[in-house]
Amino acid sequence: MTRTPARRLAAALLTGAFAAAAVAASGSAAHARGSAGPIKIGISLSLSGDFSDSGKAAQRGYKLWQNVVNAHGGILGRKVQLIVQDDTSSPTQAATNYQTFITKDKVDLVFGPFSTLLTAPSASVANRYGYAFIEPAGGGPAVFDEKLHNVFFTQPAPALQSGDVFAKFLATLPKSQRPTTAAYPSLDDPFASPIADHVRGILEKRGVKTVYKTIYPSETTDMTPIIQKAASKHPQAIIGGTQNGDAYAQIKAMVQLKFSPKFVFLTNGPNDPAEFPSKVGPKNVNGIFSTGDWFPQEHSPGNAAFVKAYLAAYGGKSDTIDPTSAEAYAVGQVAQAVTKKIHSLDNKKIIATLHTGSWPTVEGVLRWNSIGEPQGSDLLVEWINGKLYPVFPANIALHKPVVPKPPWGG
Amino acid sequence: MHDVIQAVILGVLIGGVYALMASGLTLVFGIMKVINVAQGALVILAAYLSYALFTHLHIDPFLSILVVTPAMFLLGVLVQIVFVRTLRGPDASELSLLVTWALALGIEGVLSVIFKTTFRATNPSYANRSWDVLGYHVGEVRVFAFAASALLLLLLSLLLTRTRFGRSVRATVQNPTAAALLGVDERRVSTIGFGIGVSMAAAAGAVYGVLYPFNPGSHYDLISRLLSIVVLGGLGSLGGAVVAALLMGVTEAVVAVEISPTWAAFSFFVVLLAVLLVRPQGIFGLRERTL
Amino acid sequence: MSRATAAGLVRGGAFAGAAVAFPFVVHAAWIVNIGILTLMYATLATAWNLFSGYTGYISLGQIAFFGLGAYTLAISFEHFGIGSGYNPFWALPLVGGGVALASLPVAWIALRTRHMTFAIVTLTLLFVVQQLAFNLHSLTHGSSGMMLPTPTFGIANYDRPFYLAMLALLLVALALCWVVLRSKLGLMLLAIREDEEKARGLGVRVTGAKLVAWWLSIAVTAMVGGVWAYYLTFIYPESAVDPLVMIGAVLMTFLGGRGTLWGPTIGAFVLVPAQQYLLTRLGASELYLVGYSAVFMVVLLVLPRGILPSLRDAIARARERQRTGGKRIARSQAAA
Repeated sequence: MTRTPARRLAAALLTGAFAAAAVAASGSAAHARGSAGPIKIGISLSLSGDFSDSGKAAQRGYKLWQNVVNAHGGILGRKVQLIVQDDTSSPTQAATNYQTFITKDKVDLVFGPFSTLLTAPSASVANRYGYAFIEPAGGGPAVFDEKLHNVFFTQPAPALQSGDVFAKFLATLPKSQRPTTAAYPSLDDPFASPIADHVRGILEKRGVKTVYKTIYPSETTDMTPIIQKAASKHPQAIIGGTQNGDAYAQIKAMVQLKFSPKFVFLTNGPNDPAEFPSKVGPKNVNGIFSTGDWFPQEHSPGNAAFVKAYLAAYGGKSDTIDPTSAEAYAVGQVAQAVTKKIHSLDNKKIIATLHTGSWPTVEGVLRWNSIGEPQGSDLLVEWINGKLYPVFPANIALHKPVVPKPPWGG
Repeated sequence: MHDVIQAVILGVLIGGVYALMASGLTLVFGIMKVINVAQGALVILAAYLSYALFTHLHIDPFLSILVVTPAMFLLGVLVQIVFVRTLRGPDASELSLLVTWALALGIEGVLSVIFKTTFRATNPSYANRSWDVLGYHVGEVRVFAFAASALLLLLLSLLLTRTRFGRSVRATVQNPTAAALLGVDERRVSTIGFGIGVSMAAAAGAVYGVLYPFNPGSHYDLISRLLSIVVLGGLGSLGGAVVAALLMGVTEAVVAVEISPTWAAFSFFVVLLAVLLVRPQGIFGLRERTL
Repeated sequence: MSRATAAGLVRGGAFAGAAVAFPFVVHAAWIVNIGILTLMYATLATAWNLFSGYTGYISLGQIAFFGLGAYTLAISFEHFGIGSGYNPFWALPLVGGGVALASLPVAWIALRTRHMTFAIVTLTLLFVVQQLAFNLHSLTHGSSGMMLPTPTFGIANYDRPFYLAMLALLLVALALCWVVLRSKLGLMLLAIREDEEKARGLGVRVTGAKLVAWWLSIAVTAMVGGVWAYYLTFIYPESAVDPLVMIGAVLMTFLGGRGTLWGPTIGAFVLVPAQQYLLTRLGASELYLVGYSAVFMVVLLVLPRGILPSLRDAIARARERQRTGGKRIARSQAAA
């Protein structure tokens, strides 16, 4: 009996909600893209949730670029305004954010979010509306498999090939020093196991025997059984697709099991100059290889100025700069260069222009193929005497590589 | 064969720690019919506290148990009074599920703000040391963790069997109405019981941080395992929780070595569903209507 | 047809009419996008309510079926080539039915357990499905995720088909709830909620009734997952099986009123736009999780019955006062 008034009210409210939204929609006047006024750039960033650390690092990089570019007169004589929205590390929210930037805020340009997982659906949205998608952190196959022509990934190489530099390095060693057997313990993560698999493909073709390979889930907290299994096959090289946590666990397990192969290459973990020694023990780091897209002391275009400006703005040491900040900064550099070159903000022209020539950034000089894959190579880094150095390719090496790996310090 | 036995050793050692975490969970259910979904988050909170004490004050993680446990006992009491006790009515048990889940999210949120999402690990000097026993490798820290867990579980069982409070608890678990009639203060038992449950998590958390890297989001995996353990053992049964925890530890370790690491966690859920097929109340659970 | 039923149909019709007209009247893509999200949560909440609200068994694994629906559609694209454009929408009922059928063995185990064990087993399901999504590489590409082909709907009204699909699912869910409530099944479910043992003793096919409600609930949930997957064109295990999405739907159900028809929908219409608005205003809301948790706590502790029932009671009390001119009346005369 008394249900009825409440139901009536409920139904009325819900029906009214649509009417209200419709009215609100018609009320928001279309913002004309003024030829004066600031240039608006929409960016969805993970400021909370699983990716928040990297999302905030990207934000620092973008903001730094904004300050630098505005201090030098902006783009095409107009100031740059960044419109940043939190996507809470959710792909649904990221896609919603870009939809809002483009159709509500009517931004001039959009820059990419953090992570391949969020970049893939976002690039699709941008593509639908014809916007260029210059993005710092979406380098996984999911992004390139979409075969979109508006995507430009601002790192030297696609994520899948970031480990190849280690295989290239091994080829430069005299035959007696190269490993003949290898084990591949990798994390089930789009940025871990596929990279190690890619390296394995190259090495197997060269005759390096795969004595053990396995993929472990991300909740694996104890690496001892896995490393033990690998060690029992006596590989000369451990080549692991890892993120930070499991990389530390792998090293700790190797130390505990007193297993010290001639080569250890982990795709992530040892490439963190600040955290690695404290996590595995400072005496255990030497001789371990990893890979990276950016290094603070790298001699890339604008890098010295970037590092200086970053430290001035955010403090800390150059070793603690998250590469994501450099990647984001590179996005800004590319946008700045291309708009300057074609003297326009037209996204169609931007897309066409970026597919030709090379573009200098702190991540190196970048070139892309038709689906956005960069055509360069990442850096091989190694721990030597307690410090991390890029050691290969030769043109960016700051130290000679050391082989084989010395025994564990304990 | 050697690999399997090595895995069993590892499984038992880690199972002990899970038993400690699960004991608190099942105890609280037994007393109040409340599932504390925040148990995993509380373990992680304790891990962070222990990590902070170690990093800033250089207090050994095992010693930090003495500090972290009483602190989190008080937190548990506070949580019970503010959030759990206020739930009334026939839905109280199920609402408590959601309220404690909300609490877990809140803890995760606060930890994310303070500590960020980078993985941490407490790294005392002996963290990587191990002994070789009859050709099997046995990590020092794991043995200490197992010993600490076993000791605390022993203390808990003594508390439940030898003290008056313990008898009140067992009476409440078996028959709340009769216990109340006999003068047991149900509110006091509930509150202190909840606090004890959280203390178990705290002690386990202090050592968890030495064993495994963790971040605020780690509580999801933890709680899914702990819930499976208490259901497998039988909701409310302490002995069941211990047996189930050891079973889980061994199953996972053996599957990781013999089949593949990716199926290790999954295999435990298979065991759980298989047991529930035959005994819906778990191994030691009582066939109760309100379970 | 009784007057109440006719009135109910009219109200439902008005709501449906306004909802259908919406994307034809409003052309701002971002608003239609938020509409899609709102309808998605409303459907999830209503479907959850269909089982958990009416039987009283709290299921914490609903999002597992959302994920199964998403992956089923993605796998159909990749391995069975169900075409593009509008075809996937027509394939949805198959997705829903398929997932419901596949859940039979698990349902049989789960539905024989009692309340708390049931809640935990359903929670376990969530992790099981996520694990399967990670591990069955050849089928799901594991952690790398799966791509769905982008439909070639025109840019002018690209979001509209998805909006209408979600709306159709919401109307189906509401219709199911309405029909179930008025049928014998509804009576059985309410009897189970009141006292399961007594119901069983009276001869009610308890497990059978729960199973039907369960199936209806997860079939709808799986279809919602399919539409979502097609909309985003990219899914991966953590996004397809995201506990926070389920918590949101449960929260909306509690906010609106568990066990009522319109409650979950109201909860969604309140919370989704509010959440989007807050995200814009609060910018870098590190306190996002804390905020979510706080809202949840407040709703559970302060307003556990939700908006609708509380509203209903308030209206009933107002009517009482009207009728009796403010005089106190006997409890027996108070509205239920």
